[in-house]
Amino acid sequence: MTTPLPQTAVSPNQLLYPYWAEITQLKHETEGVGSIWLRFEDPAIRENYRFLPGQFNMLYLPGYGEAAISISSDPQDTQGVVGHTIRFVGDVTKAISRLKVGDVIGLRGPFGSAWPMDEIEGRDIVIASGGIGLAPLRPAIYHIMHHRERYGKVLLIYGARTPKDLLYPNEYEQWRANGIDVQITVDRADETWDGQVGVVPMLFYRFRLDHQKSVVLTCGPEIMIRFVIYEGLARRIPAERIYVSLERNMKCGQGSCGHCQIGPYFICKDGPVFRFDALEKFFNVEEF
Amino acid sequence: MAADPEVVSALKNIPWFAELKPEHFNRMAEAATMRHVRAGEELFKEGDKEDCFYVVVEGRVALDIFVPHRGKVRIYTAEPMDLIGWSVATPVVHHRTASATVVQPGRLVGFEAEKIRQMCEEDHDFGYIFMRRIANIIAGRLMVTRLQLLDMFAEPSAETRHAQ
Amino acid sequence: MLNKPTIHSTIALPKTEFDTLLATLRELGYQTIGPRVRDEAIVYAGIEKLSDLPQGYTSKQGPATFRLVKGNHQRYFDVIPGAQSWKQFLFPPRTHLFTVKKIERWDIQPDAEKPPRYAFIGVRGCELAAIEIQDRAFLRADFRDPIYRARREGLFILAVNCLHPAGTCFCASMGTGPKVQGGYDLCLTELDDIFLIEIGSELGRDALSRCQYEPASGFSQSAAAKGLERAIDEMGRQLSLDDLPSLLTENLELEHWDEVAKRCLSCANCTQVCPTCFCWDATDQTDLMARSTRRERVWDSCFNPQYSYVFGGNTRPTIKSRYRQWLTHKLGTWKEQYDTFGCTGCGRCITWCPVGIDLTEEIAALRKEAQA
Repeated sequence: MTTPLPQTAVSPNQLLYPYWAEITQLKHETEGVGSIWLRFEDPAIRENYRFLPGQFNMLYLPGYGEAAISISSDPQDTQGVVGHTIRFVGDVTKAISRLKVGDVIGLRGPFGSAWPMDEIEGRDIVIASGGIGLAPLRPAIYHIMHHRERYGKVLLIYGARTPKDLLYPNEYEQWRANGIDVQITVDRADETWDGQVGVVPMLFYRFRLDHQKSVVLTCGPEIMIRFVIYEGLARRIPAERIYVSLERNMKCGQGSCGHCQIGPYFICKDGPVFRFDALEKFFNVEEF
Repeated sequence: MAADPEVVSALKNIPWFAELKPEHFNRMAEAATMRHVRAGEELFKEGDKEDCFYVVVEGRVALDIFVPHRGKVRIYTAEPMDLIGWSVATPVVHHRTASATVVQPGRLVGFEAEKIRQMCEEDHDFGYIFMRRIANIIAGRLMVTRLQLLDMFAEPSAETRHAQ
Repeated sequence: MLNKPTIHSTIALPKTEFDTLLATLRELGYQTIGPRVRDEAIVYAGIEKLSDLPQGYTSKQGPATFRLVKGNHQRYFDVIPGAQSWKQFLFPPRTHLFTVKKIERWDIQPDAEKPPRYAFIGVRGCELAAIEIQDRAFLRADFRDPIYRARREGLFILAVNCLHPAGTCFCASMGTGPKVQGGYDLCLTELDDIFLIEIGSELGRDALSRCQYEPASGFSQSAAAKGLERAIDEMGRQLSLDDLPSLLTENLELEHWDEVAKRCLSCANCTQVCPTCFCWDATDQTDLMARSTRRERVWDSCFNPQYSYVFGGNTRPTIKSRYRQWLTHKLGTWKEQYDTFGCTGCGRCITWCPVGIDLTEEIAALRKEAQA
């Protein structure tokens, strides 16, 4: 996999030590989902912090705790401001949803493995994503757009429950203009929607994929991932060329507290991005 | 009745048809007509008693079901190479169970289902090939429907499994 | 009195000299911790003299059973320990990380307490192996836990060879005992009249510098060796490792998992008493005025129902799934993660399980079903 970068905002001497960062921008995305941009207070960290597409940070709000949040901004954006897209569902994230620009929260990271943007150069890429799963894939999309000539055909299949739940709709045209075939679908709609209705895996039926050249990157609800993988394998794309991003309860981000294990892997340090052949044995065992 | 050349050239671009034996291809093409459709055009309504199925060549057709108190729920869209109205191949309910509306203009090939069903009766080899293809379409549709049913993006509800 | 004995040589220390050894350690700045009798069990706590140790006791152990019994001997180190292990000192159950105050902005004060220097007196083979296993979890190339490291770096270990294992012991099967396998400053074998002590390091040798001792006689060394051989035969349990880890990692859907689940209470006792379990959680406690938050690290357990909570549900909601996680980790996937099994054969999980689940029997049952 792509070599990880140094963890600039992680203390080797203090466990879980947070680095303070100020909220520079807040954006409501869809119901229960928002984006938040953070700028480190320490100028040295601001200067040096880098992340790879697919990685995450631990956000800390004193009194509430930490949450693992996908980084969703452009990895090439080195202004020292890092963007995250958050689903406000638990105590910590709901508390974060009540903050304002100028408020300060704790940040640790970056953690985890990244989408293998180097390894998949030259290939056709299918990005299959649903709901908030698009958040950790958006940095990969930005990377592709910055280096478009390094990749073959790029197809984005993205879906959500209803048209109102689609993430980043204002960006689709720009992505199309940069040579990405953007196919959007929703599970259900009303008659005012003239786009596609159906589920993300269904879109595999509508495209001819070169199984020898294609790579699949997928992130979303685990059940969607499972069906995307079925469709990918059915089209003879090998498990070694299907990459998934998984989510589990995370506390430390460093492979120490044990919570995020699946089989021998710690999702926070061996993942969250995995090559599917490594997961195959465990992925379909119920409740493993 | 000779086949419409526009129908023939459209079907030759769809592997579903192009891979048929010539005599089967020709008989199917003879039972078909090309239809040009505009955006917003209603192809058929729930309750209609027409006996044909359509293959989308270009454009997009949406399937809606009217639910009292909820209005029209859009449950599916068919893209090029997709097939609408498969149930005429195995008729149980003898009328349309959803409404079809064109959302992106294009062309559809409409087939007279009675003629196709007769072809299946007369020539079981053809019947097998045709029914197998219909089964594939239904399988894909069923997969989509199951995932829609699972409501995979839904918030946790009473059905959420809590820990013992 | 010998001139400096060589590392790895064995000396014979009269039991009356042991208090001098403890005193020397305390003068060197160590907190001496050892086994003591408390609440009809054995705990690890501060000791100052040999007489603080559980002289003359034996522990009768079996599934869901621990009894401290006054035996017919006068030995100090002969009792197989109770629920506590040494992990509570290197990986404390509760540690203050930092306190955050909101004045105008967040003001963070890391914990300033100096880490203690411990001398563990009486570390058995299974326990020393457990410490070395936790070393692999907490001190890695890519991550070193600062709390563990501070306590581990200053640690003095006086190990003890077990001549009388208890009913739930199976260290011989795991290759961790009864003879201690290195990694100590001093290693003690207790005979009726004398302590045989093998020097493991210069630090160990320095700790003996004020004691009077002789080189160990061939006779006493051979008595110790014979005792250790007998101990292997007296092991309470056995576990074959031949088909592990794959027996577990390849058989995640056997019926036997459902069978164990009927008995397991998911009480998490096993993970608390296990000397290698390392899962933890972080908690925030805020004062009533919401001005100050204390962040702590606390022990956690994969049996905790909330352990695998994710938004929308729980990935291990059933007791079956959690028991399977624990066992397939301990004797399965742990090998791939840390290049060692997670179990050292100490038997605590068997003794302290309230329903007496014995993992040696569960593995045997899984093996039988897998081979059928």
